[in-house]
Amino acid sequence: MTHLAFVAVAYALGVGVPLAFALTAWQRAAAARRKLAAIDPRGQRP
Amino acid sequence: MSSSPNRSLHRFANPGQFLRLSGAVLPYLAIGAALLTALGLGWGLFVSPADYQQGDAVRIMYVHVPAAWLATGGYTGLAVCSAMSLIWRHPLADLAAAEIGPVGAGFTALCLATGSLWGKPMWGAWWVWDARLTSVLVLFFLYIGHVALVRAFDDPTRGYRAGAILALVGVVNLPIVKFSVDWWNTLHQPASIKLTGAPTMAPEMLWPLAIAALGYTLCFATIVTMRTRAAVMERRIRGLLMARAASDPGA
Amino acid sequence: MTRKRRRLYVLLACAIGLGSATALTLTAFSDNLVFFVSPSDIATKGASGRTVRLGGLVEQGSVQRGNGGATFKVTDGASSVTVRYAGILPDLFREGQGVVTLGTLQSDGSLKASEVLAKHDETYMPKEVAEALKKSGQWKPDSGPPPPSSTWNKR
Repeated sequence: MTHLAFVAVAYALGVGVPLAFALTAWQRAAAARRKLAAIDPRGQRP
Repeated sequence: MSSSPNRSLHRFANPGQFLRLSGAVLPYLAIGAALLTALGLGWGLFVSPADYQQGDAVRIMYVHVPAAWLATGGYTGLAVCSAMSLIWRHPLADLAAAEIGPVGAGFTALCLATGSLWGKPMWGAWWVWDARLTSVLVLFFLYIGHVALVRAFDDPTRGYRAGAILALVGVVNLPIVKFSVDWWNTLHQPASIKLTGAPTMAPEMLWPLAIAALGYTLCFATIVTMRTRAAVMERRIRGLLMARAASDPGA
Repeated sequence: MTRKRRRLYVLLACAIGLGSATALTLTAFSDNLVFFVSPSDIATKGASGRTVRLGGLVEQGSVQRGNGGATFKVTDGASSVTVRYAGILPDLFREGQGVVTLGTLQSDGSLKASEVLAKHDETYMPKEVAEALKKSGQWKPDSGPPPPSSTWNKR
């Protein structure tokens, strides 16, 4: 494969950037859901 | 929280419905995003043919072009949310706009980085100041400015309002990004896929590009939905804690 | 309801004002927004000693590679400019290919280039297709862009 280093870095970024966004967003939503379940007097919400 | 019952209903009914609805759709959205992105990028990296001039560097396109489409498409979404926020004062639009900003900035940065990685071996330069590259850099700065402005005020409503105005002013940059390659001489090549006329790209390259673009679109939608859900729940937590503190002055 | 309607009209008025202001500005500065000028532009208003970015196609048969550099002609069909360059040429550089060179105009009308960039066109095709098209005579690279991709499969 020609230009292997350039292609490899581009695909690492192309997979890594969306994955990093998705994981942090999932963590944030999970933390908020846990906290909400602990303090919400109306019980657990979706 | 002493506003009329009508208004408080308007404020809370929609976010609650949004949580239920998005919670039901999210798993399918996430699975579709993962499968289509993996298929499109895998096809582009391992199966699709090398270009007659660019060799294997053409494979960078399968990341670069979808990222570029999402950079502009995401900004369009940001502008729509901003208009909804300014005209109808929709509370969900405020939260969604604040969450689209960082994701759009990330995809724009991805577009710029992969473009640079293609430009060095193909053009002979990491970066040139032509109209296309410069206008995309301006798009990146607009995203960054929006992210900073929305979070710069103590009163979140003022931040949302200022961010919405900035986002709508920045819309003039979108046609400049799109048509810069047609209006002026640029080093960047014109579009291969046009609204009118046949694409100047072989079908065996067009297919993985289309699938990767669809996968990236679903990725963007998944990420923004998850972030907006988190923002809705965080706001409800803040509201509950404030109500508790107000009703419990001894604490 | 009327307040929302009014906000919508204010927003639309702002959009029209901002849009036309931007369009006028871009039209006024159009000459400065181009990344490169063509050999014809230099023939009509070129002055020696000026630093210019010249863009066009590398003329067929004009490339002479010398010690650590090259001399070639850049053409846009109507006129051409001789370019002298000492340095490494990019991968895509070849005869018939689009290039953009940055350099100073000499008194003899040639350009002493400090930078040569290859310009890629919007055509993406596998090697086999390109060769088949050239072989069947459907596409002559010297005379213009390849035919649309919908006709490529009829080899």
